[in-house]
Amino acid sequence: MGLTNTDIQSAQGAEQTDGNIITTTIDKVINWGRKNSLWPMPFGTACCAIEMMATLASKFDLSRFGSEAIRFSPRQSDLLIVSGRISIKMMPVLKRIYDQMPDPKWVISMGACASCGGVFDTYTLIQGVDQFIPVDVYIPGCPPRPEDLIDAVLQVQQKIASGASPKGVEHLLET
Amino acid sequence: MNEEKEVEEQSIPLVLEKLEEHHADALLSQDEMRGTIVAVVRKEQVYAVLEYLKTDPELAYTFLVDVTAVDNSQMESELMQFDYARFMVVYQLYSYQGQCRVRVKVPVHENDLSVPSVTGLWRGANWLERETYDMFGINFEGHPDLRRILTPDDFQGHPLQKDYPLRGRGERESFNFDKQNA
Ligand code: SF4
Repeated sequence: MGLTNTDIQSAQGAEQTDGNIITTTIDKVINWGRKNSLWPMPFGTACCAIEMMATLASKFDLSRFGSEAIRFSPRQSDLLIVSGRISIKMMPVLKRIYDQMPDPKWVISMGACASCGGVFDTYTLIQGVDQFIPVDVYIPGCPPRPEDLIDAVLQVQQKIASGASPKGVEHLLET
Repeated sequence: MNEEKEVEEQSIPLVLEKLEEHHADALLSQDEMRGTIVAVVRKEQVYAVLEYLKTDPELAYTFLVDVTAVDNSQMESELMQFDYARFMVVYQLYSYQGQCRVRVKVPVHENDLSVPSVTGLWRGANWLERETYDMFGINFEGHPDLRRILTPDDFQGHPLQKDYPLRGRGERESFNFDKQNA
């Protein structure tokens, strides 16, 4: 699949002069690359993870959006997908994995449990991971459909393309 | 299928019969619940009873399915039965030979939350007893490594005790990440 010049222009706000010369900014080119090759770090702790696996498998095929390179090492990934319940014992692990990811990093909180504790309003369950790590995109649902996860990835892509900083960086700048 | 049933029907009375014969002084009560024999035993004799159930060649309850406990503190009817013992430690056994189950229960008073460990009979009891300790605060005497297993090491209290608040005591909001990552 070849990208036409119009594709590049519309996506990146680049300008084409005559011939094959395109002018743009370094940031835009870098963001274009980042956006189309997000490497997810899956943090699947419960039922939502099954939907995440479905999203990655052939039927829904997240690789259509450039995110098929699942990394189980946080050092090699830039998108953390928290899918499932996070218990008080798991939270330090999640925080550590988030800390180990190189910047810029993005976080998707998938499902009711990760976003707010869901139906598990008990002593052991974190009532929303955003209390401890910055979340860029939330997905509602119990569990969300694979299309919802794809939509969330596309929203992250949009954020990257627009040049916005990840929540984590904004957070750092504030404090 | 029919054959299986026959075996069950035969062996259900057998276990009670044999318990009556060999451990009558240990039995506090006996009951049948959906095809499972429920025997309530005195704490002092529980190890001997379980050992007997496991090693007797006719019974051969060789598989310890589960160890858990029940907090009856809000169940007056249950409390009354066994001299206001707050907890009931429950052992589920299965016999491959007889293809039947037996449930052994032990009343435990709050002022003496200890039960002998059965890790010597079944090594698989190790984690089950740790879980029961973690959730109910039952001390299993003679357990090789009685640490918490589900909750974090520095957790306070035993969450399946009925007086533990459902939403906890603030542990889900307060974290000391520095300490935990050290
Ligand atoms: S949101 Fe629903 S599907 Fe997802 S982890 Fe929670 S209970 Fe499971």
